[in-house]
Order: sequence, then C-alpha cells, then structure tokens
Amino acid sequence: MLIDRQEVMRMARLARLELSDREIDQYQKDLTSFLSSGQKLQQVDVSAVEGTSHAVAMTHELRKDAVGESLPQAEILSAAPEAMDGFFKVPRIVEEQE
Amino acid sequence: MTSYDTVIGLEIHVALMTESKFLCSCKTTFGAPPNSQCCPVCLGLPGTLPLINEKAVEYATKAGLALNCQIHFFSRFDRKNYFYPDLPKAFQITQDAFPLCTDGFLEYYMDEQLVRTAITRIHLEEEAGKLIHSGPTIVDSEYSLVDYNRAGIPLIEIVTAPDIHTPRQARLFLEQLRLLMNYIGVSDTKMEEGSLRCDANISLKPAGSSVLGTKVEIKNLNSFRALEKALEYEERRQSKLLDRGEAIRQESRTWDERAGRTITMRSKGDAPDYRIFPEPDLPPLNLDPAWVSLIKVSVPELPLERLKRLEEEYGLSRYEATFLVNYRDFGDLFFELAEIGLEHKSIVNFLMGDYARLAREHGHMAAKRLAELLQLQAEGRISQNQAKAVLEELFSCRLSAREIVEKKGLEVVGDPAALQPVVAEVLDGNRELAARYKNGETKLLGFFVGQVMRATQGKADPETVSQLLRDELAD
Repeated sequence: MLIDRQEVMRMARLARLELSDREIDQYQKDLTSFLSSGQKLQQVDVSAVEGTSHAVAMTHELRKDAVGESLPQAEILSAAPEAMDGFFKVPRIVEEQE
Repeated sequence: MTSYDTVIGLEIHVALMTESKFLCSCKTTFGAPPNSQCCPVCLGLPGTLPLINEKAVEYATKAGLALNCQIHFFSRFDRKNYFYPDLPKAFQITQDAFPLCTDGFLEYYMDEQLVRTAITRIHLEEEAGKLIHSGPTIVDSEYSLVDYNRAGIPLIEIVTAPDIHTPRQARLFLEQLRLLMNYIGVSDTKMEEGSLRCDANISLKPAGSSVLGTKVEIKNLNSFRALEKALEYEERRQSKLLDRGEAIRQESRTWDERAGRTITMRSKGDAPDYRIFPEPDLPPLNLDPAWVSLIKVSVPELPLERLKRLEEEYGLSRYEATFLVNYRDFGDLFFELAEIGLEHKSIVNFLMGDYARLAREHGHMAAKRLAELLQLQAEGRISQNQAKAVLEELFSCRLSAREIVEKKGLEVVGDPAALQPVVAEVLDGNRELAARYKNGETKLLGFFVGQVMRATQGKADPETVSQLLRDELAD
C-alpha cells in the first residue's frame, strides 16, 4: 500500500482540509491508485533525457521597474472573513509557550 | 565546566529598493495605509501570473558581486508551500535548488584583525506581509492584524557559512554587511522598518571538536543589539544544559527583548513540510553574461577598499578612516576637500568635530563653501574659535566664509604696525601697572594682553601682542 490512512490525514492537515472517515478511506484508495499508475513511468528509461523543470522550454521575461495600479483598500478587504482598521484580522497563530 | 566552541551562522533578509514589487507593479512605499498597495498578483488571487522585475534581478546580482560570489547565469525559482497568515498565496516564490549567487565572502576588521566570513548563497525571493500582534509577543496574542503592502517586495536572502565564532563577531559582520548594502545602493537597510532582518543559528561543541552540536534558530532579531544579546543568552543557556549532560533540542526560538531571553516557538501542527517544487508560473532565469558584466562595472568602491585607501594614500589613522567609511557622506566630502588641496588631518579633524554636530542638525554643506573656511583657518587669517563662529553662520546664511569674516570683522590682526598704536594706548592708560611690571611683576603681562584683545574686539593675534608688549615694557 503506497499511501496509508495516516498519510492522508497528514496531507489533509497540511492542506487545511477537514475529511470524514469515509473520505479518508476513499482518498487512501484513490491516491494509492494514482501512485501505482505513476510507478509505471518509473520503468521508462530516461537516462538519455536531460532534466527539465518546465514542460515548455522558455526563457525568462523581465519587466521594467515601473509602478502600476493597485486595488482600492475596500476591495482588497472585501474577501476577508474579518477585517479591522484596514487590516485583515486573523486568529491566534502560535500556541502558548511551555 | 567544560569549555565550548560557539558556532554561529546567519540568515539575513534584505529588502531591495525597487520602485515596484518583485512580481507585480504595486508600489513599495513604506508607511502607506494598510492594504493599499496590493493587486490580484501579490494577493495571490486565482488566475494571476507573476512577471519578474528586472531591477530586482540587477540588485541581487550586484549584491552577489559585492560579496565576491559566483553569479549563476542559470537560476530557477521554486515554490515553497506553507500556511501562515502573512503569506497570501500560501506559498512563497523563492530560489531553492538553483540560487542566483553562491560561494562568496565578506572581509571586515574585528579589532585589529582582518577576518573573513564565507557567504554560502544569496537567492531572490518575495517578501511576506506584515503581522501586527494583539499582545506584546506572538505567543501571547489572541489575534493578529495583517497588512499585505509588504507582500511581494523583492528580497535577497544572504546565508553565511557557520563560521562566526562569537556573538560580537556576528554583530560586527551584520554591521559591515549593512554598510556594504548601503554602499552599493540596493537597500535602505533600516532594521527598524524591517528592510534588514536577521535570523541566527547557534550551536555549541566541546572546544576543539570537529563535530557540530545541535543548532537552535533564533528569530525576531530586530537590532544589532538584539542579535548580540540573544546569541550571548543562547550561549549561556546551551552551555548550562550541556554541562548538566542534557541534550539541546533543535528548535526555533524567539528573542524576547523585554525579558532579555529567548523562548521556544511552537507553531500549530506538524514540523514544516514545504513541499518545494519548481515554480510553474516563472521560467528559469538565463542571464546574459554581458549584462552581468555591466552590473559588475556599476559596483562602487566598497567600505574595506575605502578604508585601505584612506589609511594608505591619505595617511589617516584607523579611527579617522573608520569614521569616514561608516559615514559615507562624510567620506565623500573628505575626498572633495582633499581634492581642493587642503591638509588631510585638518580636514578630518574639522569634519569629526564641530562640522559633524552641525551637519547632523542642518544637513551637509557644499565642499567649496567649506573649503574657503578651512583655507582661511589654514592661512592663519582666523583663529580656531573664530572658525567655529563662522561655521555656524555658514549654516544659517548665504554669505561665503570670506564675506562673513569681513562682515563681522573677524580677521586676525597680526600686523605689528597696526597693533603698535593700540599697545601704546593701553600702556598709556595704565601707567601705574606698567611701572609695577617693570619692577618685576611680570605676571601682569596677561592683563595687558587682555586689554589689547578687548580694544581690538578679539581680532588681535595674541602672540604678536605679547611680543609687542614685552618689547615696549623692556625699555
């Protein structure tokens, strides 16, 4: 088994997803199946192929250092669950110290 | 008590002074109303595409060149994923596997010794937003406020090798690094505004051992003093633990300025798993070697080079040269005045003295304007005290030094023929005292000199006056 329940739960936590027990089981099966398919690719001989980081070979494009338009503050904050004095307001970040 | 060797490495974030952000065209102005300099790109809204600011690449390259790094024509961006409220996209675009610069060093003086700290790498990345915590520290804050104006400003992260040996050396290194960044003009490096930030890694090992101990990372070092104090504290804390045979836990700690100690930071959830992968939205950088050569030419004289030049070519002491290096504007003014032909030591004495005090208050003065004053003093036309008075006037009016001297009638009168009548007059008015002087009360000379000085409103040259008086009274 490539992916166990523990691993699914860890990924769900990292992605901030709340999964039910049934969903965990389902994802465990699905992800294992994905990775099994992926394993087939491992059998291909790629020793003669150069490594790549991008699917399309492109060279960089740079822009000049020029200032453009920003969004109005009200619009920026319109998607915030909570705002205060022009800031986004977020809950406690770090747990109590020992 | 065992004795330990301290091993320190620093990670320094330097905000680059571009007009617009790294990957979008929002302004980078400090102090704007919160969340007023953001756009869909730096807010990480879906469907947006970043585009690299050329100036940011130029500045990062310039920093790498000034730090003697190898510049990699090929470098690549990566996506570093983590959840934190200051990171709107929930990932940071950075350079992981292929950084822009590697293998450099910075040389600087520690006391009389020239020391070198190796720079492992410098890479480009984007800044996160700014968090304001509701409590005095992050650990006792019920909520935090987020401003994304800063999110997406270009940063370079400079990573040193773990070859710094004392908290004081760490501080000296950071001070010199900051000066260097100012010299090359890529950052304003204001620690209080967060455009220069430092994290430190520190571990202890038994003296002489080649095996590194477990390292602890200290974050939130917002000043040179905080860096030194936090490292000193951590040295003591770790050596006590090791003395008791306890293990050091690998962790991140934060510096609590008020309590004067470091405290454990524990974030919710797992240890970080950044799931770093090549950034799909940005193609790799392929720099033109000719472009890099142009940047190399634009690197100005660096602090250590200037220090050497001031000592070797201008004969200044380490103390004087250091002043002119640390205060680059004063150094520039020194060179201009020296160019005019004034004597080096007297320029530096003047700049470090009254001029420094007044210039800090009013700003600098044009070299030509100052040179005239220094010339008058060098020629003996005005005394040191008079020069000081003229300098104050120079800062507050538009007249030249020569004009001020004339207007105030400040010039020293050293011509015996001009002073002779005044001397005669003073002696004539004090015949009784003159007689006592002739009878051996020679200490009265000071009184006569004072009288002549008063009669000439302080313009007379005291040396000449004394001589004239002695001659007269000897008759």
